[in-house]
Amino acid sequence: MADKVIKVAVAGNPNTGKTTLINALAGTNLHVGNWPGVTVEKKEAIIEYKGYKIHLVDLPGTYSLSNDVAEEKIAIDFLVKEKPDLVIDVVDSTNLERNLYLTIQLLEIDLPLVIALNMWDEAEEKGISINIEKLERLLCCKVVPTTAIKGEGVKEILDAVIYIYENKNKFHCSLHLEDQLETELRKLKECIKNIQPLLLDIYPERFLLLSLVEGNTFFIDLAVDSRILNQAKTIREKLEKLYHRDISTLLVEERYSIIISIYEQCVKKTAEEKFDLTLFLDKIFLHKVLGFPIFFFFMWLLFKFTFELSAPYVDWLDSSLSDVVAPIIYHFLTDIGTSPWLRSLITEGIVGGVGFVLVFVPVLFFLYIFMAILEGSGYMARAAFLMDRVMAVFGLSGKSFIPMLIGFGCNVPAVYATRTLENPKEKILTTLMIPFMSCGARLTVYAFFVTIFFTEYQTAVILFLYTLGIIVAAIVAVLLQKFVFKAEAIPFILELPPYRFPTVRFIIRNAWIKTKAFLYEAGTFILATSIVIWFLLHFPIGVKKPEDSLFGKISHTIAPVFNPLGFGNWEAAGSLISGFVAKEVVLSTMGNIYSGEIVEEKPEKIELSEGIISIAKGFINANIDMGKNLLSIFGLYKVEPEEEEEDSSLIKAVRDSFTPLTAISFLVFLLLYTPCMATVFAIRQELSSWKWTGVSIMISFTSAWIMAFIVYNIGRFATGG
Amino acid sequence: MRLSELPAGSFCKIKELKFDPSLKRKLLEMGLIPGQTVEVIQVSPFGGPVKIKIKDYCLAVRKADADKIIVEACNGR
Repeated sequence: MADKVIKVAVAGNPNTGKTTLINALAGTNLHVGNWPGVTVEKKEAIIEYKGYKIHLVDLPGTYSLSNDVAEEKIAIDFLVKEKPDLVIDVVDSTNLERNLYLTIQLLEIDLPLVIALNMWDEAEEKGISINIEKLERLLCCKVVPTTAIKGEGVKEILDAVIYIYENKNKFHCSLHLEDQLETELRKLKECIKNIQPLLLDIYPERFLLLSLVEGNTFFIDLAVDSRILNQAKTIREKLEKLYHRDISTLLVEERYSIIISIYEQCVKKTAEEKFDLTLFLDKIFLHKVLGFPIFFFFMWLLFKFTFELSAPYVDWLDSSLSDVVAPIIYHFLTDIGTSPWLRSLITEGIVGGVGFVLVFVPVLFFLYIFMAILEGSGYMARAAFLMDRVMAVFGLSGKSFIPMLIGFGCNVPAVYATRTLENPKEKILTTLMIPFMSCGARLTVYAFFVTIFFTEYQTAVILFLYTLGIIVAAIVAVLLQKFVFKAEAIPFILELPPYRFPTVRFIIRNAWIKTKAFLYEAGTFILATSIVIWFLLHFPIGVKKPEDSLFGKISHTIAPVFNPLGFGNWEAAGSLISGFVAKEVVLSTMGNIYSGEIVEEKPEKIELSEGIISIAKGFINANIDMGKNLLSIFGLYKVEPEEEEEDSSLIKAVRDSFTPLTAISFLVFLLLYTPCMATVFAIRQELSSWKWTGVSIMISFTSAWIMAFIVYNIGRFATGG
Repeated sequence: MRLSELPAGSFCKIKELKFDPSLKRKLLEMGLIPGQTVEVIQVSPFGGPVKIKIKDYCLAVRKADADKIIVEACNGR
């Protein structure tokens, strides 16, 4: 006998532990992707249970099903068009009243429900007792108390799913609204039956009728007959007049009056709360004075943790690839007699490209861990609360602060951190501002230049660059608000959920799932770009000098663009091209260019076994270094700074071809133009739009050129040159 | 009276929401319906957001947005 497949949608409000429950239900079967066309996460799993195949689809967390926003549209589309067999509705038992609003709307769609009363342990602690049998009867559904974080109630949920699937027709619910409203809905139904009965075949009756009356038809793909729309409008106006309020208020009030009656019958608060942890913690974390230093301390920790704990692993991956994997492949290819250019393509282009992708993995993994802690604990909402006043100046809300802060470490995870911004306008604006946050990779170039040209003012010059980045970001934000978005200020109304403690397993698994998504999506693009750049540098085949390669020709062609900025030579232009790939490679490209020849590195031969041992050793050392860094964050250990050796011939060449003024102009350009291809593809992935990605690149280049021009000419004027 | 005018610790009832229709519906659906009791928990200095409690949960509302929530005073719940 073939297994029976049960299609189940999982719905629920934000902050109800829906993700935790899905994780508990699905175990390792969970797959994460995006809903088509948008960057709203889609989680899916197929579980085998008691001879059934249960196909779970996680809907975005929403408060309701009536607004024309991405999350709600996805949920409605899925429920109405894919017609799942039933819905698991995850509700927060400690906040039942508001959570039941979505439940009522799910019943309007007429799908059988399993209600998971999640956070059951918290409700018990708070002295909230819920009469389950009564709730089941009133809402014609199955109700299961769960504590997802401890894995409690998971089996019972699956049993309830099967029970409902086998007894489907027993679970139909009709909740009655005011008589007058019901009469009007019946009239509208008759009207549809006579004119366009197809609508009633496609869409759930009650959901359709209520939406038409409210004039909220964004989810209907069909052209609705104008007679029906007119009838709905007549009814709407009649009801608004009758009840002295607009239709939305009327319908929401009606639903809430049903909820309040159910709530009063089923919920009893037996004991007053003794100690409210959330209230207590908020007194500290949201304190008028203390709140900010605590916030900055947490941000400093986040920053330190993410970038210092991941650094040893980044180095390990980097050296494993360039010192072990690349040499082994190089000598293998030499032994089987491959042509030099193919060998170079594989060892430099492909292995190098893989390296560009892999070095982001530890950073992203650690960042996702700390983001999950911030979000899962409820602190993220507090951070937004604290920073809102500041961000309002730039027309943004408090939620956009954290992504921008992360940008100072690395722009790539910063772009991914915008996932927490649900307002599309705010998300786009923030994403466009992030590239101006000067990341760690850019610092390596600043450091090299300031030691050559500004020995006495090193800190001042670097500080100037960081500040300039922030100022340009602010200008861009203000200009975009004024001329592109034109909408009014982004509203800031945010739920402050109770403080909770996410489990380690949940955090780590979540971080890994998201890191994997980066590898698949942005990773392939980055690899492809890196190979393209390799071709530019090595074409025509057998080219000896970088100047004669396609790369050199392109650099020559675009060099005049930089004339007004003071560095219109092909060498500078070429290093900026490679800087588009990654700022880390600017210096090495300069080394290549100024030395005047393409050197193919001839790595020493390594045995495979030797290589594996050295990679393993490196991994152990990376773990030790991570431990040391962890201790040093708390001041318990002092890490000796590593001395980086600089290429002295490069220093000389740079000193000869730049003046202090052209150097600063070059650095300003380097600060502001597109940070790296990884950021470009992250933006593409997050905004799902090549258009906005293009806009970002354009804005970056334009502002880089303008600012470098201003700085160069002010400098020239000031020095009388 | 506007929600933004109330000091921390005070209670009020919602009278009217002066937002554009889509945001208004969202807030209504989150439970800010006329007649709903609201407790003002915290008011931030320098025009920062207000923290309120409705039903069984807390919301942060920017002062500019709290200006658009019209309320009437009431004593306790």
